[in-house]
Amino acid sequence: MHGQSTTPRRQFLADVGMGFTGLALSAMLHRDGVVRGDEQGAWTPPTGVPHFAPKAKSVIWLFMIGGTSHMESFDPKPELNKYAGEEIGNTPHKDVLEAKFLDDNLRVVVPNDANGHIRHKLYPLQVGFQKRGKSGIEISDWWPHLGECVDDMAIVRSMWTTDNNHGAQYQFHTGRHSLEGEFPTIGAWAHYGLGSLNDNLPQFVVMGTPIADCCGGVRGHGASYLGPAHNGVELNVDPQNPLPFAAPGGDVYREEQRGQFELLNQLNRTAAVEYPEDQASLARIKSYELAYRMQSAVPDVVRFSEETQETQQLYGLDQKETKDFGEQCLAATRLVERGVRFVQIFHGSNGGAGAWDAHSNLQKGHAKLCGQTDKPIAGLIKDLKRRGLLEETLIVWATEFGRTPGTQNSNGRDHHPFGFSVWLAGGGIKGGIAHGATDAIGFHAIDNRHYVTDVHATVLHQLGLDPRRLVVPGRKRLEIDFGRPIQDIIA
Amino acid sequence: MMRGQSLIVHSLLLPTAVMLCVAGGTACADENGDAARPVDFARDVKPILAAHCAQCHGALRQRGGLRLDAGSLALKGGDSGEVIAPGSADDSILVEYIRPDGDEPPLMPPAGEGTPLEEEELAVVTAWINQGARVPATEEIPPDPRLHWSFQPVERPLVPEIDGKPVSGNPIDAFILAKHKELQLAARPETDKATLLRRVYLDLIGLPPTREELHAFLADESPSAYETVVDRLLASPHYGERWGRHWMDVWRYSDWAGYRAEVRESQPHIWRWRDWIIESLNADKPYDQMVREMLAGDEIAPSDPDTLRATGYLVRNWYKFNRNVWLEATVEHTSKAFLGITMNCAKCHDHMYDPILQRDYYQFRAIFEPHQVRTDQVPGQLNTEKDGLVHVFDQDLEADTFLFRRGNEKHPDKDNPLTAAVPASLAPVSLQVQPVKLAPREYYPGLRDYVEEGNLNYARAALRNAEAELKKLTDQLTAATQTAKAEEAQQPPPETLPSPLAMAAAAKRVAYELLQLQSVQARIAADRARYADPPAENAEALAQAAAAAEREANVAKAQWEVAKAESALQTAKDAEKPDDDKTKQAVTKAQTDLDKANKDLETAVAAREKTDGGYSPFGEVYPAHSTGRRLALARWITHRDNPLAARVAVNHIWLRHFGSALVPSVFDFGLNGKPPTHPELLDWLAVELMDHGWSMKHIHRLIITSRAYRMSSTVGDATGNLAVDPDNTYLWRMNARRLEAESVRDALLYVCGKLDMTAGAPEIDQPDGQTNLRRRVYFRSGKEKQMLYLELFDQANVNDCYRRNESIVPQQALAMVNSPLSLSQGRVLANTLTTATGEPSAPESTENFITAAFEQILCRTPSDEERATCTEFLRKQSELLAAPGELTRFDSGPEVKTKPSQDPALRARENLVQVLLNHNDFFTIR
Repeated sequence: MHGQSTTPRRQFLADVGMGFTGLALSAMLHRDGVVRGDEQGAWTPPTGVPHFAPKAKSVIWLFMIGGTSHMESFDPKPELNKYAGEEIGNTPHKDVLEAKFLDDNLRVVVPNDANGHIRHKLYPLQVGFQKRGKSGIEISDWWPHLGECVDDMAIVRSMWTTDNNHGAQYQFHTGRHSLEGEFPTIGAWAHYGLGSLNDNLPQFVVMGTPIADCCGGVRGHGASYLGPAHNGVELNVDPQNPLPFAAPGGDVYREEQRGQFELLNQLNRTAAVEYPEDQASLARIKSYELAYRMQSAVPDVVRFSEETQETQQLYGLDQKETKDFGEQCLAATRLVERGVRFVQIFHGSNGGAGAWDAHSNLQKGHAKLCGQTDKPIAGLIKDLKRRGLLEETLIVWATEFGRTPGTQNSNGRDHHPFGFSVWLAGGGIKGGIAHGATDAIGFHAIDNRHYVTDVHATVLHQLGLDPRRLVVPGRKRLEIDFGRPIQDIIA
Repeated sequence: MMRGQSLIVHSLLLPTAVMLCVAGGTACADENGDAARPVDFARDVKPILAAHCAQCHGALRQRGGLRLDAGSLALKGGDSGEVIAPGSADDSILVEYIRPDGDEPPLMPPAGEGTPLEEEELAVVTAWINQGARVPATEEIPPDPRLHWSFQPVERPLVPEIDGKPVSGNPIDAFILAKHKELQLAARPETDKATLLRRVYLDLIGLPPTREELHAFLADESPSAYETVVDRLLASPHYGERWGRHWMDVWRYSDWAGYRAEVRESQPHIWRWRDWIIESLNADKPYDQMVREMLAGDEIAPSDPDTLRATGYLVRNWYKFNRNVWLEATVEHTSKAFLGITMNCAKCHDHMYDPILQRDYYQFRAIFEPHQVRTDQVPGQLNTEKDGLVHVFDQDLEADTFLFRRGNEKHPDKDNPLTAAVPASLAPVSLQVQPVKLAPREYYPGLRDYVEEGNLNYARAALRNAEAELKKLTDQLTAATQTAKAEEAQQPPPETLPSPLAMAAAAKRVAYELLQLQSVQARIAADRARYADPPAENAEALAQAAAAAEREANVAKAQWEVAKAESALQTAKDAEKPDDDKTKQAVTKAQTDLDKANKDLETAVAAREKTDGGYSPFGEVYPAHSTGRRLALARWITHRDNPLAARVAVNHIWLRHFGSALVPSVFDFGLNGKPPTHPELLDWLAVELMDHGWSMKHIHRLIITSRAYRMSSTVGDATGNLAVDPDNTYLWRMNARRLEAESVRDALLYVCGKLDMTAGAPEIDQPDGQTNLRRRVYFRSGKEKQMLYLELFDQANVNDCYRRNESIVPQQALAMVNSPLSLSQGRVLANTLTTATGEPSAPESTENFITAAFEQILCRTPSDEERATCTEFLRKQSELLAAPGELTRFDSGPEVKTKPSQDPALRARENLVQVLLNHNDFFTIR
């Protein structure tokens, strides 16, 4: 097997030597078998170059698990107070019960479930609200810090989805109902389309406890048919244990391991002389170099001691209730600062449907959860702005569905796929606008209705990607999968 | 009206026409909206019409007699005349139909049957017509899709001759060589023996050769040395594990998945299907038989538990929440896996490319409509949660299938129930459905000997337990009485004595269990008489006796419940305290329970008056027939005249030997798939498979002994080939491949001497993958239940994996470098090799150690340069490790049980072994 090489050894070693200038790693990493040699020419995977001029480089995707009440957050509805306790059918808003959306806009998984029904008895708002910022957009009093940032935010009040249960979490990330199978998530698409800005870090990072198995599990940040190279990588904010297999444990010396990496590199390069055409061998040599650097680069991201006291406080790191989520937000800032493409932060995991799932005790529960997230998210916006990163970082705040205008269990609200709110900020998004609307009691999205893939389309658009050009042969995508960018909120 | 409107459209189109100019750079329009540079029909227009119109106006279907898949045909028009007025788009009916009417969507394509043209596309079509609707003089008319190559009969092609002479040896090489001649490619020579040995080992059994096997092979100079190895490997039980995993990819093996303990997808105990796959492959069970057993094992051999396992193939699609999702997966993957047909594309509308109507999709579904999943008891375990034989059967023989309009389950076409059928255009044979009559033991598992025995044993054990409890209470009473007598003292303290009510309850329990045992015996006797062929004469009498015995037992049971409730009430009353609400509530509850028990007793007593022969069966009695639809499908698929099954099968085998497939779109042999690179070879292999009794081992042996398979994977001096065939489509060299996820882990453990080779049995929890050392194929694999370590290496996606990915990412490197598995195994192997080659202190042992490590891990000897590099490393690393005071430990990571050696020289060897386990040549099949 030796001695068949025709490439002069010295020349070859120079080619694979430091710098690796001639080889586009991202292309090699993408060479992952979805496309094979024998199919090349007909189709090639994305090169990492945007399809058109991007407005944003990175995305921070904040997802509230369980379903945040839109009416008590970003879409206050005083009519609920006016008709509190009355049956919808007895109010002037009874038309909502006849709307065609009720059938079209719903795909039930478990027909006789206890949850996921229309609740008829209107439930008053559980918190006050007021006009905020110069734009005067109304936001509830559970989000006082975020209220200060409203002039940087574009609130979309006219979202709809179809799953009346928490499979909607999976749906929000893939655009497909859980009954329809396996599909890539938005983070995976972004990673697939754009690849890397910093080779020392994973490019699609997931923080917080992800969606539970009930509602999508790891598929909620998975790449499905795009291949596991595009799965989100779970990152802990603990510098001791930031990544799976990040370090070998205390039995091993750093110098010892360094010696091993050096030997491996040398042996692989010696052997590679025999296989100058073997791109995979070259890619693997490079991947070990990256892995070695990742071992130190990843813990560096979560070394918050490098940040000032004031910055830490901005994210609420000094307070017990905001510390966990605040650390994840601060880590997100430090990740995008280092060029990571897509950071997905989950809030509210409880191993099941999610903490935001306020079937009862909405007031107590939402007050607490907003308290955990309000300041860190506001801190994130403010800090990115002053670091000059907000312009190129798109923040998306989302949840799988809203909650019913009517009451459930006397002091809660049920799942509500017919109308709910999300918001976006930074990354070329207009600030201080509220786009779209639900009806007077927050039941149906009626103006500028948007399915969840419109959010995906907006994200990809801001990143300079055309989802139609990312389609993988043999993997049919439907028209609705692509969505349409929400043009009204794009600056 | 048309005209006025078209003006608006025109002005709207202006900017897009300009855009077209920029984007395409080909068809440019001037400011009048007419193209200055001509629109080219073939390049610009045809793709648009193909995407939006040709589905209904193409070669397969011609709605309204109109075809739009060729320019000349488009100009010809349809049943009602021409649709294009060359030179005037506004006068063209075609444009009228495809243009939006104000805010209204265009008439064509009809809603739900396609997407309307984008503005730019409309502009192109309009411009083309306005420019005169020119079409190329020579234009290929798309042929009837029924004539597509893969739908034609498979016939054995002649083996090509090279330069007019037959090629000696393996016919595969003749086909490969013929292409080489045609393209002037120079084939690479046979690879060296060590590389070939490692290649064929990993390929056939998923494990590398041992050093001894390497040495023996290198020393064997007989001409049949290689064939001997191939035969041995094909006979190895590990062949089934390796290739079983491949077929588990294609057939979508999945252990149960769900939320916590709730099963939502697939089923527990489906591991029996996995064992069936592995055993069948090892036995070289014919492929056609395997397909038939997977689809219809319950109709082929309903009384054979070994065969029933095979239907795990269908069980795997079980889905808790939605029957349509379940059947959709069944239809989609049955057609993809066995036929290479994307039937799923016809769920919402007629297939866009293949001759499959939407109606065909639902008729195919009708084949599966009656089937359901059940878990039968297995000998020795009546609790099906703990173990069981899970398989399919036909439950609802009359189940209707309806076409869902636009694929929407909310809109079934209930006026037109569909019969089971297969798409007529795919094969010249049709479905021959014959209902299958089942024997009583097959449709009523309660009759089986081990179930009867189990039920009797259960009743006997219950009786023994009841008797033991009564004896215990009696003994307590006797002992207490005797103690009291002996001490001649006061009465024994009442709380140590069983209460008379508890004694009474225990006695009632014995009475009940005795009657229950008798009832079981009577019901078994009645069952046997009733299901005998012909039924026994005394069947009715035995049934009445069984029913009576059961009613007696029910009364006794109710009496026991009353006695227990009375005893509980007394206990509650004894514990009642006036100031404790809890104790008062307990009394109330006990009273309620007693009332209910008394009521139940009344009911049971009343029921005893009945005289009919209705008694309870032991478990479910299922339908006595199966529709035979699935068996008919399986026979149709594996029929000699079905053009697809054998082609698809050999293509899957070829892919896994060469790393590239003859038909690259392995699950799509339809019109939208890729054509074969070697059509004659594909057909020749397909016929060879069928003519050799569908023996897969025969195909393996043919492929593996071909010169093509034995070629070197290097380019070497054949650089001229790179210009002609850079992607090695025509196999002028072997493809180097990365080990699959399972083999990475299995091979790592195997070379370190620690792989546990136990075969079969229930799946192992997937988190144990770092500590349990069995082969990966025996671990749980489900939607959310994956081994992270292996997922990083592109483990099969359980939902759909007709072909593995081969990614290379840094996380794989981290897992290989830092996981406890790699760390500990490297340490183990270094010590084993040191034992074999001598302590580091012995001067010559270093060289032996390095050689042994290369041979053991990479199956080759080191080059001089590698040897020198490693020797230097061992020296430097020993020195480094000899001064631990100057080193920094990692401050985090997992606890690894196997610790590094205290001896710096030995530890350096451990380091070397760990490095070789991360070597490119370890991951690569060259």
